[in-house]
Amino acid sequence: MQQFTVHKIGPEIKIAGIDLSFTNASLFMVISASLICLFLFLSTKQKKIIPDKLQLISEMLYSFVAKMISDTAGSKAKPYFPFIFSLFVFVLICNMVGMLPYAFTVTSHIIVTLIMAIFIFIAVTVIGFIKHGFKYLSIFVPSGVPAVLLPLITIIEIISYLSRPVSLSVRLFANMMAGHTMLKVFGGFVISLGLLGGWLPLSFSVALTGLEILVAFLQAYVFAILTCIYLNDALNLHH
Amino acid sequence: MTNEEDFKTRLKIAKLKVQKKILSESEKKGSLMGSAFKLGTELVAAVIVGTIIGFILDNWFGTKPWLMIVFFFLGTAAGILNVIRSANRMQKK
Repeated sequence: MQQFTVHKIGPEIKIAGIDLSFTNASLFMVISASLICLFLFLSTKQKKIIPDKLQLISEMLYSFVAKMISDTAGSKAKPYFPFIFSLFVFVLICNMVGMLPYAFTVTSHIIVTLIMAIFIFIAVTVIGFIKHGFKYLSIFVPSGVPAVLLPLITIIEIISYLSRPVSLSVRLFANMMAGHTMLKVFGGFVISLGLLGGWLPLSFSVALTGLEILVAFLQAYVFAILTCIYLNDALNLHH
Repeated sequence: MTNEEDFKTRLKIAKLKVQKKILSESEKKGSLMGSAFKLGTELVAAVIVGTIIGFILDNWFGTKPWLMIVFFFLGTAAGILNVIRSANRMQKK
């Protein structure tokens, strides 16, 4: 579909045989990132004791993420706050920017979400090994299992561990892609039914737009909270 | 003097009440919807990963369909394990 196509903007750049051209996907990532930076800069420029509206929004965002981390991953996860905050805000703003007409939804491409998920997966594994050494491997061996079943359970646990990045990335990508496709399909119905019957699908697509904004927020929330849960597993071994 | 102190304690109590209410309400709704979206992919992802692992191992050892079939079922087991885990996590909240 036209809204999901990636095309080059500007000249083609090739470094060592890898295509590094600037595309519309990269453009919208830059837009989202600079929107976040601009907003956070403007809202915290004047640090008032009684905050104005902008400052209030950014403070609420801060405390929302801080509470999410302390609830799911405990106080040990405090040093990772900057990472999870930027992850959550970036995914959220990318989803929201994608809701604007004519915009490109960066998170509806599996390559973007998969790279983020793989990065999280590798980071969490490295953190686990740094904190616990080879004892970290004990998350694959649950306690209280009979010795006969142990090899089987260990293989199942390893598959379950490896499936984390896949489920994390597919969830975000599939939700965004399905939502935008559904909007497109209902938009097509409006055109094909014309002036007489087009009002019903039109009202549907208005309602779906509301739903999509909810989904855009929820998926960013789920992405961040699952990162916290994985971080919790790596920081506190208690299986 | 006493009036002021009285007011302060009352303010504190009221603030705590409001905070608790807002937090519990918004959190319940958010996490419920979030986990509803979560469970489906949790199951499917493990099956896909298991099958892919089986496929790769098959190519290594040259045992074409067998390891893939075995790992498909192991992946299904892992997926069910994932779903049970996240359901348990939801119940704890």
